[in-house]
Amino acid sequence: MASDIRDLADEEVMQLVQSGNPRAFELLYDRHGGAAFSLAYRMVGNRVTAEDVTQEAFLSIWRSRLRYDQARGSVRTWVLGIVHNRAIDALRRSFVHDRRRETMEGVEERHEAPERTEVEAARREEARSIRSALDTLPDEQRRTIELAYFGGFSHSQIAELLEEPIGTVKGRMRLGLDKMRRQLSEGYAAGGFA
Amino acid sequence: MTDRDHTSYREEIGAYLLGALTDLERQAFEHHIANCAQCRDEVEQLRPAADALPRSVEQVEPPPSLKTSLMEVVEREAREEAGESAVPARRRTPLRERLRLPSLRPALAVGGLALVLGLAAGFGVAQLGGEDDARTIAATVDEARLPQASGSLQIEGDGENGAILRVNGMAELDETQAYQAWVQRDGTVVPQPTFDVSMDGEGAVAVPDDLSGAEAVLVTREPRGGSRAPSEQPILSVPLES
Repeated sequence: MASDIRDLADEEVMQLVQSGNPRAFELLYDRHGGAAFSLAYRMVGNRVTAEDVTQEAFLSIWRSRLRYDQARGSVRTWVLGIVHNRAIDALRRSFVHDRRRETMEGVEERHEAPERTEVEAARREEARSIRSALDTLPDEQRRTIELAYFGGFSHSQIAELLEEPIGTVKGRMRLGLDKMRRQLSEGYAAGGFA
Repeated sequence: MTDRDHTSYREEIGAYLLGALTDLERQAFEHHIANCAQCRDEVEQLRPAADALPRSVEQVEPPPSLKTSLMEVVEREAREEAGESAVPARRRTPLRERLRLPSLRPALAVGGLALVLGLAAGFGVAQLGGEDDARTIAATVDEARLPQASGSLQIEGDGENGAILRVNGMAELDETQAYQAWVQRDGTVVPQPTFDVSMDGEGAVAVPDDLSGAEAVLVTREPRGGSRAPSEQPILSVPLES
């Protein structure tokens, strides 16, 4: 059975998860738990809170598994979206946010995951390409996007942090995403990453 | 909901996709794009850029203990669900079918709304609005525990698409707790999302379940991350016409 479901695409695995199959859920975790933990760690900046966030997110995924709708995006995007929301919840608990604010540029020891499979190697390449697209943005746009998405700050908090008008902050977010979208499209068109 | 113009919502597209709007701003934005094809199209155009961000982070290995503890909970819940109900999953009413709560404490499961409403003196129910397609129902509050609180539920149509619950005057909870909404129906209570309130005690949460035929929307205080069954008697409830 295990060897069978490991051949399935994410969306097919998700159908089994929706029927209440814990083995399919385990496979879902095996495929996306690393990316989920990495995102949580990038956002909250320490392993203990990242573990809490990842566990909360996956339990939420299990308990609300029937809410997944394939028409609204890939399983991976759905999973990472839930992790992102949970990490924002954690960040907005002030003590984590304060700590993160102090160490915005730094991250604790990384325990980087080894590249074990071709899929993981491809994902690392994809990550590098997306970071390159992010790096092409003007500094103020990139920093605003990172503070919002990874820092969990609201637009008004960012305006306060950067001492800029809220309208300017909102504009940078929109313009930055638009430029990133164009960079990513060019990357895809050039076969930069799969 | 504030009636703002299209331009001001359009400026918020980036903030929306990055999760940088407050709950109330996000709900207002989503209400706008439901009726604005131009903003909706731009959201979908920019979404791939926002969706790429989580895939940009360096990969870090999670500890094996995380999977072990996660799977312990999942296996236990799968066994409980398999043992309690053979009802097949239906997409239209998923949580109600899948998360029926046999472990619900008898006071809530059997007593239903009468018990909920009997919590404290001073309860009052008022119909605040009655427009054609949207109505607002005032919440009843346990004044013994939340003397300053009030709340209301905004429902569009027959409630098939859920509702928005807004609260005021609530106590800010510590980091281990969150407020959680519930939908009460047929003697069971179905979990809904958790939410926080601001320092001013204001908060809002989308109640996504189908409310047609439901008896009440309830709120309790739960461990952060939410519970499958309420840990206490509701501190706030919104009775619905069944």
